[in-house]
Amino acid sequence: MSLKEGAALDKLITNNPLAAKDFADRCAVEYADVSLRDILVRVRDYVHKGHKLLTHPLSGSIKPGETPYKSILVSAAPGQGLDLPSLRIIEDSIVTCDKFPIKYPHIPEHVLADFQEVDRTLIAGALYKHSSSK
Amino acid sequence: MGKLKVLHYINQFYAGIGGEEMADVAPELREGAMGPGLAFNSGYGDEAEITHTIVCGDSFFNERLDEAKELILDMVKSVKPDLFVAGPAFNAGRYGVACATIAYEVLSQLGIPVLTGMYEENPGVDMFRDKLYIVATRNSAAGMRDAVSKMVPLSLKLARGETIGASAEEGYHPTGVRVNFFEKERGSKRAVKMLLKKMAGKPFTTEFPMPDFDRVPPNPAVKDITKATVALVTSGGIVPKGNPDRIESSSASKYGEYDITGVMDLTAETYETAHGGYDPLYANQDADRVLPVDILREFEAQGKIGKLHNKFYTTVGNGTAVKSSKVFAEEFSRKLVNDGVDVVILTST
Amino acid sequence: MKLEVGYIDITDIQFSDKASLQDGVLYVDRDAITAMILEDERIRAVELDIAKPGESVRITPVKDVIEPRVKVEGPGEIFPGVLSKVQTVGSGRTHVLRGAAVVTTGKIVGFQEGIIDMTGLGAEYTPFSKTFNLVANFTPVDGLTAHDYENALRLAGLKMAKALGELGREVEPNEVKTYEHLPVMQGAEKYPELPRVGYVQMLQSQGLMHDTYVYGVDMKQSLTTMISPTEVLDGAIISGNCVSACDKNTTYHHLNNPVIHDLFEAHGKTLNFAAMIITNENVYLADKERSSDWTAKLVEYLDLDGVIISQEGFGNPDTDLIMNCKKIEAVGTRTVIITDEYAGRDGTSQSLADADASADAVVTGGNANQVVVLPKLDKVIGTLDYVDKIAGGFENNLQEDGSIVVELQAITGATNELGFNRLSAR
Repeated sequence: MSLKEGAALDKLITNNPLAAKDFADRCAVEYADVSLRDILVRVRDYVHKGHKLLTHPLSGSIKPGETPYKSILVSAAPGQGLDLPSLRIIEDSIVTCDKFPIKYPHIPEHVLADFQEVDRTLIAGALYKHSSSK
Repeated sequence: MGKLKVLHYINQFYAGIGGEEMADVAPELREGAMGPGLAFNSGYGDEAEITHTIVCGDSFFNERLDEAKELILDMVKSVKPDLFVAGPAFNAGRYGVACATIAYEVLSQLGIPVLTGMYEENPGVDMFRDKLYIVATRNSAAGMRDAVSKMVPLSLKLARGETIGASAEEGYHPTGVRVNFFEKERGSKRAVKMLLKKMAGKPFTTEFPMPDFDRVPPNPAVKDITKATVALVTSGGIVPKGNPDRIESSSASKYGEYDITGVMDLTAETYETAHGGYDPLYANQDADRVLPVDILREFEAQGKIGKLHNKFYTTVGNGTAVKSSKVFAEEFSRKLVNDGVDVVILTST
Repeated sequence: MKLEVGYIDITDIQFSDKASLQDGVLYVDRDAITAMILEDERIRAVELDIAKPGESVRITPVKDVIEPRVKVEGPGEIFPGVLSKVQTVGSGRTHVLRGAAVVTTGKIVGFQEGIIDMTGLGAEYTPFSKTFNLVANFTPVDGLTAHDYENALRLAGLKMAKALGELGREVEPNEVKTYEHLPVMQGAEKYPELPRVGYVQMLQSQGLMHDTYVYGVDMKQSLTTMISPTEVLDGAIISGNCVSACDKNTTYHHLNNPVIHDLFEAHGKTLNFAAMIITNENVYLADKERSSDWTAKLVEYLDLDGVIISQEGFGNPDTDLIMNCKKIEAVGTRTVIITDEYAGRDGTSQSLADADASADAVVTGGNANQVVVLPKLDKVIGTLDYVDKIAGGFENNLQEDGSIVVELQAITGATNELGFNRLSAR
């Protein structure tokens, strides 16, 4: 599906290198090698600036503390003022995240790859379905 | 194992001394069981026995709290019971608060297992439900038999250090700690039954009460902030150095009103925080970080706001009961309105 | 739609040279099943095993559990749109091998979950400790992607269940129940005095290992829609979900959806079970808004007095659940929601990731963070390599004596949000 000419791309805030690579042409990717919680906080900062949250920060049933990866879409441009539902969801998500201790400080490479793949597909489902209706 | 030794706390009424007119009687330690204690003893059978009873007037307890606590704790120490039972207080407010307060003192100071019981609307429940087990009773002494039948087995479990089941199984008021247990019916069946009740407008009990929402619609925007009188109110515990009113670091029972006429800046020498729920270092270094007097003084000077109100109100939000907060706010809101304040900036931590 | 369900009680399961079902004993032809599975070139090898209630056996990591069923009369076949052509099921007659289950295991990704213990403490928390299980442990060909492997495993389990179900085609059931779902107007005329009740089932639909299929359609691609509850009993909804073992719905759960069952039990007596609505749990927030708008719209069109809403999974579905609840309450229909909790190991954390005052009637499947110690069992089907990696496991949680320390999260079906279990919390 081709994107509308000149339309600004939504922002993908991610610490998942696989998602960053795969969606580089569909989103404005902001990749950072930081913790899952830090990604949530970065997204909260965007929400504070007026961006709208597009995907749920607790996507997937793998708990924070298990998967180290998180990819979240926020709107390309800040809207008019603060989007309160977005703020509520991201703040509740951070609170939820803090309930789950990091279980596996040392995750083997192949498991990391699997976590990346699952996180990638959660966003892919959202992206490919919606890009056509933008 | 021999019989467990139980100490029972009751008020003047249940001791047969008298009603409200005798509520001033000081704590007194008596041997044996009396009043509701007799029902407990028959329930305990060979397992336990109330060997002593403390009788205290409700007014004495509530009005001379520190003295009452000290006297009663000394009595408990002298008896050295295996278990401390208070009440049940049903819907008697001051009796309920006394039962829960003294039970919590015995538990936290002496480490002796405790149990009390009262009706869900008794203020003692909200004040202490997260601190100790409080059995749910009916709202009057007509529910004595039912109350005793729940309190006897639960108190024995507590005294023996056994695992305590969920509130719905043991009959205590939910403490806020979620405990798993097996219901008699599966969830879907429970859902169907709950829905039938809800549709019929009959009472039903949710298995998970939603967090308490007290949403307040925002006031209309201030028309002209440059003419407005702005006041500061905080739950961040900012107080004059030394905390002159002794606002508690948690579960605050009061708020403070302090004059800031002529105060341009809160400094480490003049102000601090009483709050026990966050790292106080940064607030103590510069209390403006929580209560921004300095910035508002600047705004005042620049004409960005009309003026800063000469008093601020403060309390500690840490673990403070919603009920208490409401009482505080109702009181000082009236003062703010009377003083002609247009805008209040609320700061937390 | 009227469906007769004949329940054949299974009292034992054994391997045999010849597949059959006699006097409640299910005889499984291991070679024939193996050959059937290996027809899928994506699967390199499969080991079949049997696990019975009370045996010292641990099955892990569990992907799906499926009950064997067979369509005896009426249109369509079991698992329509997946194993057979798309044709509306839910009427006629279906036989069920009650007490039997196919359990699939296999390492799709390097972290995985789902424990079924056939005995001990763990057995108390999973319904599949009480079923006679044919367990299949799969190995894929080299280089198979996680997506393909998940698909292969999903289909293999369904095929096995269908093959076993076929053995019950000619068997006289121990019990026959009739479930009838009337057209809307007929139902209203027949039960004018009873409250009109609906069931809103939320289906997990997010991506790899988080999907649900309805007549073969990936539910995340669908708008909220309606289905006859009898269709569900014929396998119209299947699970592609293998994350969050405790509160995912296996295909077995769908086939035996307890909300459907208990609403049918009350149907015509205390309520009129008028409609079933299925909706999804997508990642996109706009989808959540749209789907919950449609749920409330359908509830209003159908003029329902009350609905039960069931959830699936952890975290973001809390948002769907609350949106559904809030919007349905707002159209004047009473709701009861079924969920589970993540209240922390000590039970003191906020249980849900979302909340609203309109959700005043909640049934809970319990706190999934509760810690349990599972004893060492004699035999493991599958592998313990991933027990550490199971949701709810801890790093190095394998104790020296062979016991494992996990949260209830790790146990298949432990805090099910269809209300399948008696477990609750206060």
